[in-house]
Amino acid sequence: MTEQLAVDAVGVTKSFGSLRAVDDITVQVAPGEVYGVLGPNGAGKTTFLRMLFGLIRPDAGTIRVFGRTWEKDGINVLDGVAGFIESPKFYPYLTGRQNLEGLALLDGGDRADRLAEVLEVVDLTDRAGDKVSGYSYGMRQRLGVAASLLRDPRLLVLDEPANGLDPAGIRDMRALVKRLAGSGLTVLLSSHHMDEVEEICDNVTIMRTGSVAFHGTIEKLRTMAPDPGYALSTGDDVRAREVAGRHPSVAVTTDPDAELVVTGPRDDVAAYVADLVRSGIRLDGFIATRTPLESLFFMLTDAESSVEGAA
Amino acid sequence: MSRVGVGAALRWEVRKLRAQLRARAVLVAAVLAPIPVVFILHGQSRPPKDTLFGRFALENGFALALLVLGFASQWVLPLLTAIVAGDVFASEDQHGTWKTVLTRSTSRGQLFWAKTITACGFAAIVLLLLTASTIVSSLLVVGHQPLTGLSGQTIPAATALKLVTASWATMLPPMLGFTCLALLLSVWSRNPAIGIAAPVVIAMVMQLLGSLGGIDAVRPLLLSTPFEAWHGLLAAPHFTGPLTQGALVCAAWGAVSLLGAYLVLRRRDITGG
Ligand SMILES: Nc1ncnc2c1ncn2[C@@H]1O[C@H](COP(=O)(O)OP(=O)(O)OP(=O)(O)O)[C@@H](O)[C@H]1O
Ligand SMILES: [Mg+2]
Repeated sequence: MTEQLAVDAVGVTKSFGSLRAVDDITVQVAPGEVYGVLGPNGAGKTTFLRMLFGLIRPDAGTIRVFGRTWEKDGINVLDGVAGFIESPKFYPYLTGRQNLEGLALLDGGDRADRLAEVLEVVDLTDRAGDKVSGYSYGMRQRLGVAASLLRDPRLLVLDEPANGLDPAGIRDMRALVKRLAGSGLTVLLSSHHMDEVEEICDNVTIMRTGSVAFHGTIEKLRTMAPDPGYALSTGDDVRAREVAGRHPSVAVTTDPDAELVVTGPRDDVAAYVADLVRSGIRLDGFIATRTPLESLFFMLTDAESSVEGAA
Repeated sequence: MSRVGVGAALRWEVRKLRAQLRARAVLVAAVLAPIPVVFILHGQSRPPKDTLFGRFALENGFALALLVLGFASQWVLPLLTAIVAGDVFASEDQHGTWKTVLTRSTSRGQLFWAKTITACGFAAIVLLLLTASTIVSSLLVVGHQPLTGLSGQTIPAATALKLVTASWATMLPPMLGFTCLALLLSVWSRNPAIGIAAPVVIAMVMQLLGSLGGIDAVRPLLLSTPFEAWHGLLAAPHFTGPLTQGALVCAAWGAVSLLGAYLVLRRRDITGG
């Protein structure tokens, strides 16, 4: 053992009745790493993070956080750990500031200076005196981040932090997470957006109905990614498909809506499109549909398909 | 961060309680409600003869305070304590805030004791306010003539004041017993409405059971029976057996309820919120 892992979860399993929400998954996060747990709805991301926080007890497996376990160390497991599960919840009849003051008490201290700081970070200083019942969804989400930062964590655990935010909110949340990660914080993040994980994370575990479908670096994931796909509409689809015959590395198929779908390496697709134009075929539309990693994500998490080299 | 103890959690619970309209309303009601009740009873033309101390209630303040006591103990006291105790755990489910407070540095056990102490403290304060308000307004409105005891003996005013106060004080053990029961129901049901209403219903059912004949073996074990133990204080010679027995019964109910609540809270999965 060289360096103590921030999170060392091995063989973790949890069932609800007959449903295996999390099935023998292993997630190991090194200090300083930004780690993504990616998966579609119902994959088990939240269930896993709840177990990490001790909110629910795993049926099997062990979870160590900085070497500590719930069995041995109780609530001390969460020393240096902060974050939130799903959308953060607060007492609606208290103000934002009162909520944070109370949580600071439960952390073991009144920290007025730090409280003002974290409110500033999430841009809630002006509204901190308002009751949380009057907060918008995005404001509660930001208060959740403030509540987490209040603990000065070494490990930040965020369950779909951008969920439900508007585009500007998503951008700000990602920027914040990146900034925090840049300051040396270990981040464990769940998401169902490949682009989010790709943008922020170093390592990723992709979950599918409770189990691990892929585990590794974003780089490794990229090498496995299929070619990008494009939706193409032309004035003459029959001739467009004929032209494709001259470009063996480019595949042109028809999707269920009878639209043309082009896949292939980026440069070869570009050459094919140029050829279409040269052949006098009218080009009505050419749009990138899925990024390669997105396509891979769907392949990995689609129950029927499987990918070579995964997991 | 293991330094955090029950004390910090207790301060937080008290702060939340002070911010809650409902809890403040109960305290205000405990002070104000006895006043109109005393006036209305005093204004009756005929005394409620078939109630304990009803016969003298119109001309004797001590008797009136005891009449109110007999009424309050039927379901008012369980209700007043359940308003906080039945809500204190379930409201975390209602607001989805278990995950918020349990991901700090305070353990489930510490939160459990903080909430339990808060609810018991609230019950004691409510009882204190209600006692003071009832006795003071009864004496001011009706007067402090010597009281006729349950054995027909005459009790001088100074002694009567002590006995009436002591009688009200004997409400504390059963009220704490109902507090613990409400805490259990709050943890178990995860629903504030059930946590608040169920103890009141249980109190009324127990009253009813206790008034039935043929269950003499069970009656002393009911949590409502200790509400009547004060009768012995006003008999001549006075007897305290029911008080001791009642305190033990309340302690047993309280201990079992708290143990159950603690185990349920410690073991449950927090999946909501
Ligand atoms: N308390 C519960 N009782 C029963 N089943 C549950 C419970 N909590 C979660 N599940 C089930 O466990 C599975 C995993 O749920 P989980 O919330 O962990 O998924 P997720 O990956 O977080 O999904 P999402 O992206 O929608 O948040 C789902 O099938 C869900 O229905
Ligand atoms: Mg989830």
